[in-house]
Amino acid sequence: MSEFKLKVRRFKPEEGDGPYWESFKVDLEPTLSVLDGLLQAKDREDGSLSVRCSCRAAICGSCGVKINGQSTLACKTMLEDAQHEADRTSANGKPAEIVVEPMGNMPVLKDLVTDMESTHWAKIRRVTPWLIPDGPPPEGEYIVPPESMIDVTQSMACIQCGACVSSCLSMEADPDFIGPAALAKAYRFAGDPRDGQAEERLHDLANDPHGIYDCTHCFSCIDACPKGVAPMDQIMRLRRMAGDEFKIDDHNNGYRHETAFTKIIEKKGTLDESLLLQESLAPGVKGKLIPRPGAIKGLLESIPTAIRGLRTGKMRSLPKLIPGVHPKLPDGAQDQVKKIYAHSEEHHYELNLYIRGEEADDEAPVPEAEAIPEAAIVPEPDESEAGQ
Amino acid sequence: MSYWPGCVSRGFTTELHGSMALVAERLGIELVELDRANCCGAGVIAEHNQELADTLNARTFALAQQEGLPMMNICSTCQGAQSECQQRLDADSAYRAHVNETLADEGLTYDPEGFSNKNFLWVLVEDYGLDRLEKLITRPLNGLRVGPFYGCYILRPKHRLGYGEHPDRDLYLDRLIKTLGGEVVEYDGARKCCGFPVITMAREVSLRQSGTHVGDALDAGADCLVTPCPLCHLNLDMQQPEAAKVVGRELGLAVLHLPQLVGLALGFEPKQLGMKRHIASTKWVEQRLQPVPA
Amino acid sequence: MPNHDVLVIGAGLAGQRAALAAAEAGVSVGIISKVHPVRSHSNAAQGGINAALNEDDSWESHAFDTIKGSDYLADQHAVEIMTRAAPEELLHLEHLGVTFHRNEKGELGTRAFGGASAARTYYVADITGQAIMHVLYEQLMKHSEDVERYEEYFTSELALDDDGQCVGAVCRNIKDGSMELFGAKAVILATGGNGQVWKPTTNALICTGDGIAMAYRAGAKLMDMEMVQYHPTTLAGKGFLITEGARGEGAHLLNAKGERFMERYAPNKMELASRDVVSRAEQTEINEGRGFPDGTVALDITVVPRKRIHEALREIVLVGKDFAGVDITREPIHIKPGNHYTMGGVKTDVEGRTEVPGLYAAGEVACVSVHGGNRLGANSLLDTLIFGRRSGVDAAERAKGRGPARPSKRTLDAEEAKIADLIGREKGSGRRVSEIKLELGQTMDGKVAVFREAEGLNEALETVKRLQEEAKTCYVDDHGTVFNQDVLGAIELDFMLDNAEATCVAAIHRTESRGAQFRTDFPERNDEEWLKHIDLLLKDGASEISYSNVTLTQWEPQERTY
Repeated sequence: MSEFKLKVRRFKPEEGDGPYWESFKVDLEPTLSVLDGLLQAKDREDGSLSVRCSCRAAICGSCGVKINGQSTLACKTMLEDAQHEADRTSANGKPAEIVVEPMGNMPVLKDLVTDMESTHWAKIRRVTPWLIPDGPPPEGEYIVPPESMIDVTQSMACIQCGACVSSCLSMEADPDFIGPAALAKAYRFAGDPRDGQAEERLHDLANDPHGIYDCTHCFSCIDACPKGVAPMDQIMRLRRMAGDEFKIDDHNNGYRHETAFTKIIEKKGTLDESLLLQESLAPGVKGKLIPRPGAIKGLLESIPTAIRGLRTGKMRSLPKLIPGVHPKLPDGAQDQVKKIYAHSEEHHYELNLYIRGEEADDEAPVPEAEAIPEAAIVPEPDESEAGQ
Repeated sequence: MSYWPGCVSRGFTTELHGSMALVAERLGIELVELDRANCCGAGVIAEHNQELADTLNARTFALAQQEGLPMMNICSTCQGAQSECQQRLDADSAYRAHVNETLADEGLTYDPEGFSNKNFLWVLVEDYGLDRLEKLITRPLNGLRVGPFYGCYILRPKHRLGYGEHPDRDLYLDRLIKTLGGEVVEYDGARKCCGFPVITMAREVSLRQSGTHVGDALDAGADCLVTPCPLCHLNLDMQQPEAAKVVGRELGLAVLHLPQLVGLALGFEPKQLGMKRHIASTKWVEQRLQPVPA
Repeated sequence: MPNHDVLVIGAGLAGQRAALAAAEAGVSVGIISKVHPVRSHSNAAQGGINAALNEDDSWESHAFDTIKGSDYLADQHAVEIMTRAAPEELLHLEHLGVTFHRNEKGELGTRAFGGASAARTYYVADITGQAIMHVLYEQLMKHSEDVERYEEYFTSELALDDDGQCVGAVCRNIKDGSMELFGAKAVILATGGNGQVWKPTTNALICTGDGIAMAYRAGAKLMDMEMVQYHPTTLAGKGFLITEGARGEGAHLLNAKGERFMERYAPNKMELASRDVVSRAEQTEINEGRGFPDGTVALDITVVPRKRIHEALREIVLVGKDFAGVDITREPIHIKPGNHYTMGGVKTDVEGRTEVPGLYAAGEVACVSVHGGNRLGANSLLDTLIFGRRSGVDAAERAKGRGPARPSKRTLDAEEAKIADLIGREKGSGRRVSEIKLELGQTMDGKVAVFREAEGLNEALETVKRLQEEAKTCYVDDHGTVFNQDVLGAIELDFMLDNAEATCVAAIHRTESRGAQFRTDFPERNDEEWLKHIDLLLKDGASEISYSNVTLTQWEPQERTY
């Protein structure tokens, strides 16, 4: 047994006061969880401490909280690990209390209980979260590639705990962002070969200003997810499907940005920022401007920044403002890059580690533990009767 | 070291490239610039074609290996994008063989054995050593209040960025600031996103992020921010006036590149380090520096 | 007052399936759950779902395995219904979008499971229950116009009319503490099992036997309450479940000497004998000193190829890593038998009807009985779906011919008074709810577990009765309205104590050993006297015992060997 101190952010809505901090001392095995700690405090000290919880084993998704600032499940975080993290990150390098707060990006109802309906479930419903097959089902099962089911099972592994939503930095800046959980859910359908609406789904999510192109690529959801769903990876796959597979030219410039970027590297090897700006807002070769809705606005918005850049010398010189003046890679290197393009665009292979597994896993089982040959087992039916 | 400066340090933020060169020389780190190497793809190319992104970065790794030197970068985004590709390349030998086949034409091959690719920040702390750095300081930062801004790509996801082996990588910037004689400013945004990746797609969302972080740092009393990522720099510094409009407040906080902050402590002058090129004025920082002792 | 044709209480697999079936039959449906539906404990069913779908398999074989597994206490006509309907239900789920594992041809693939004569367990990695439940919840969202969801509403009492028909329920809206009376022409209980009565248990904190207690109080009979499954592989200390799928994939059980001891207990099926057999074997090893010092034996999953583990047992890899600090792909993990499943429950017919008109029960809360003395792995999901659906259909039929239900406000008033009394108790007036729960759980796990005998059972019953008295004066700290979990915990304690009492009474009464009930003082199965169910009826505050016959169709009881 060891003693731990949990510093809990509390809120009692009936009392009309704001949130406050309260520390609880708990006495538990270090390998027990922060949830065990909260429950001990609740059982022994204050039954009014509220936290949603049920399975205690990271399957029900109830106990999403922030521990030392990290969104996670309270049941999945061991006390000793939480203590270590609190000490490691404490500003003065001294032992610290384990800090437990309600999830972020959600209104708090009471103590550690948040309102997930308005911030999480409403967004899940936003992605039409059910399978929409083409036509009536077959007589037997749908015949689909085995890997495809493993693939979407990664998203299916989501337990809707909200930890990713809590950690989402895009949502912090744009509360309307559909968010990592709902978009992972969207991939679960878009990536399911049995679904007949992938293109419609992607069209919708690509054009929504709060959709797939509103993700700021901060990886927070990947670290927060207790189930390895890696929501951001799924969002990037939605983008890949939307742009690359269905060529959806969205109103958010997502596809144009990606295409322009990719083309520039093919041409120049390194990034020509000016060209990127022009190409992603108004693609075409110099002088052959084909602006799309919003493009003029986008270009105009970038002008003040560009002028300031020029004035301070940040943008090296005028050439930095003239798309296409950026040099290529030297000594034939650019041709090599082009060859890589030709080759990769032909194969377009997507290695999925969730399906493939890490290579170290391919090794054979330990030899001494090999199954005992059936013949070596002498049947003794008399001793096998249940209850004897 | 095999040195990959990244596109942006050679483009929009040349002051980063320049200051890195000065600082490396003073530290005695020899940089062999990979001038044939290509863009890391910044995660964007992977959105288009994952194999393409992996192959392009395998090429960069192979070029670094050709020099027989460990690789160093000065851009969090390069680090993150390259580490992501490296994870896939290292995990699966069949896939790696396929990618290497594409590289064979140029006489290149990527071999995970012994390969390392580290951001300058990691190199400084893990390989060079803050003790060793401390001895070279000629102008301690004299309590300059510095807000660290890490950039997502060297923070997350932890499993991909070597945190298993180096769990404190999310504290290095703090330690470095202290070593240089500065004071670390605690503020909300230190490990958040600058918003750059969505600047062309969701401009307001992007600027609200950078504006909020700059504002929070100001409120916490920062004299400046420091970042190891030139893309964060673009959104925090170059876009600062625009971000100010979005968050509806006055900003005006200098944002230094990591080598610039180190450079100041090593005795270089702001002008040498290209600080004049910044959008947000660095005057306040300059005023707070002591003169370098003769 | 919310009023529906059919009101479903509980939103795990049985409840959601019942609600969808009733809605499909064209009646208005409400579904109430004390947690958000996807938090329900069906999530925890890791291994899979049985169905004789392959050409070389048959429903008869599935039925026989189930009946043999039940130690011949299952009602065979009910088992027939379940096993015959299994393939169609499985395909229905597949069509709705469950991401079942495929074989190389892209068809549904299976894994082996305990007590089964064929590999007929269909699965989604080791998150089968979760995958199915989330897909059903997708359907609930899709059909939100037909099924109204009351999420985080706690049901504390069933409403009966003067004729003793069930016409609704009283619920507390957890978010604001308001009490509401729901009217319904038919009520389906789908509230799950009572594992929390034991400590430790694999069951979630919400599995407090609410429905069993409420039905019992409303005059429904309980059946087979002595039949409590101890799962062979639960994590030492915390009681977490390690799926039977691990053994299905080939994992071994080893004692401290490294012996694969199942050779001595079930030489043919080895680790894949039925759960009661394996649990007893483990407990025997432990009791006879061949276990580890922490009172466990070892489950060795390292014999399964690592790649296969990472594909098919991902969840268990996480459980090992997060909760035991063990990499199961590299070293054996310590396990022991632990409380897992309530075979008994509210007695129903094959349409889910209880003895109370208008009240249905489906899933773990119910006892049809398809599991008898011991449930086979991967039959629980099937039970919830088949009998959930049948209850929904039959309840809808019942509702169609009736006028609106008018439950009496008296029920609501009584519940409000009960809660007012609870909140009104002075701090320190009695014991803390948590203390009583802990004593109950430890008592039941000590005395009403794998091996039982009269003395221990009677002691347990006495303790339960004392705790029932103590519960009358227990106090709560939280006097608020919003998310007052303290008050709910006290109500749950009452439910748990009723469950415990019924289990003790039945276990004392059955003086033989069958399935999960092993009496060291009556170690033989006794078909002459005990091939029958024990039914309990609450009369004047006491359990009245009666019997009902076990329905036999084509399988005569025989000696049970694995």
